[in-house]
Amino acid sequence: MATFELYRRSTIGMCLTETLDEMVSSGVLSPELAIQVLVQFDKSMTEALESQVRSKVSIKGHLHTYRFCDNVWTFIVQDALLKSEDFAENVGHMKIVACDSKLLTQ
Amino acid sequence: MASSTTSNVYAHVIEDVINKCRDEFIDNGGTGDNVLNELQALWESKMIQAGAILGPIDRSATQKPSHGGPIPPNPVHDLNVPYEGTEEYETPTADLLFPPTPLQTPLPGTAQTPLPGTAQTPLPGTAQTPFTGMSDSSSLYNIHTGGTPITPNEYSSVNHTSGVPDMRAGSARPSPYMEPSPWLNQKPPLDVNVAYVEGREEGERRATHLPSTQDFFTMPSGKRKREDFPSQQNPGGYIPQQDGAGDISDDMKLDQGSSRQHVLVNANQKMVAQREGLSSRIPQLDGPIPDPYDDILSTPNIYNFQGVANEDYNIVNTPAPHEMQAPTPAPAPQNDIADDDEDEPLNEDDDDDDLDDVDQGADLNTTHLVLAQFDKVTRTKSRWKCTLKDGIMHINNKDILFNKASGEFEF
Repeated sequence: MATFELYRRSTIGMCLTETLDEMVSSGVLSPELAIQVLVQFDKSMTEALESQVRSKVSIKGHLHTYRFCDNVWTFIVQDALLKSEDFAENVGHMKIVACDSKLLTQ
Repeated sequence: MASSTTSNVYAHVIEDVINKCRDEFIDNGGTGDNVLNELQALWESKMIQAGAILGPIDRSATQKPSHGGPIPPNPVHDLNVPYEGTEEYETPTADLLFPPTPLQTPLPGTAQTPLPGTAQTPLPGTAQTPFTGMSDSSSLYNIHTGGTPITPNEYSSVNHTSGVPDMRAGSARPSPYMEPSPWLNQKPPLDVNVAYVEGREEGERRATHLPSTQDFFTMPSGKRKREDFPSQQNPGGYIPQQDGAGDISDDMKLDQGSSRQHVLVNANQKMVAQREGLSSRIPQLDGPIPDPYDDILSTPNIYNFQGVANEDYNIVNTPAPHEMQAPTPAPAPQNDIADDDEDEPLNEDDDDDDLDDVDQGADLNTTHLVLAQFDKVTRTKSRWKCTLKDGIMHINNKDILFNKASGEFEF
């Protein structure tokens, strides 16, 4: 199963990375095992988002930068307004990084 | 900070990762559940510290699946009770029972003396969570597990969950977190190389620049000019002499004027001094500049040679000394490294002033980031539309998960 490493930049991914980093540097954990954990995180996070999340969000704003490189879209949106059923947030600068969903199904 | 749903999903992911990695942990390294529980405890503590997980909810949620099928949420508490009951030989158990927070202090004392059986095993488990005690506690822990294979694991997990929040307050805060995973991206070597390369470049530059800064170097350059000027003022035939002025020997042959000879002699002496200084003084010049850094990085700068300083520098900063040692042989780059450090912050500041802040500056802390997959991205003139799915948003310090998202932007 193909996975994205994309979600490693999220809060949960960064926390895991820091944890693994500390454990590897202290010698408790081998780097190989730590990488396996990260790969498993990629899978688990992707599955959880598919199966457990049902919310929809709309994003509107001024597109400051768009970039499409290596099948990854990057948008930098200014004065963004995010809405969902639960919340509405205004953000001055927001970065969107999106991988091609079709790559996972292949 | 996180919504309950986000927190639950995160807790589920943590649990899922831990469970699915258990076989690998047991099979490969022989590290076993102890390390895995450490990992989970640390991870959860960081998540709670980051506000991405709501502490108490996670514990119950995470533990339930981990223990396996038969145990519903209430039984989890039951596990704690009999467990405590076994320990209740003495009063300290009561302390353990009532407030979860005081667990840390009573643990070490109780763990050592009382019973070697189940009671001890869970205690070191909680003690493991602090960063320093990991290895020791884990080793002890393994020994005990040999006697009671099944229960200690469960207890440990329970203890971790219960102890996790407590530990977070204590252990997580004091340790400033390192930047993400040097070993993953192999950043330490990369950083070193970068600094090293830059050091080389600047080192070469400075090798040229250094003479100007030194008194000796500046003096001869000025006098050369003086020499050149009088040569021009004297007979016009000296024009070739001016060309040769760069070479002292040529000047000596050509110029026989007494005044000039004195000047030239002085110049020659100074040149010799320069040449001597090139070998000896370069380290000297380097010495004073890096001192402040060296003081911070490593005290043993007794040696003029920079190689030693580099080793110390490397050791202090990065865990892998072997890789670090490779760059050390060249002394000049080391000096440059210290100098580079001075220069770099200025450059970074300059960059911050630029418009690039939107792209780069946002990435670090204040970034509002959306990580997702895109289904479709279309543009009609300046109007962009994109459909995203399975995303994680970090907006205003809140983590928000979405299944689908639609974006409409004006470029």
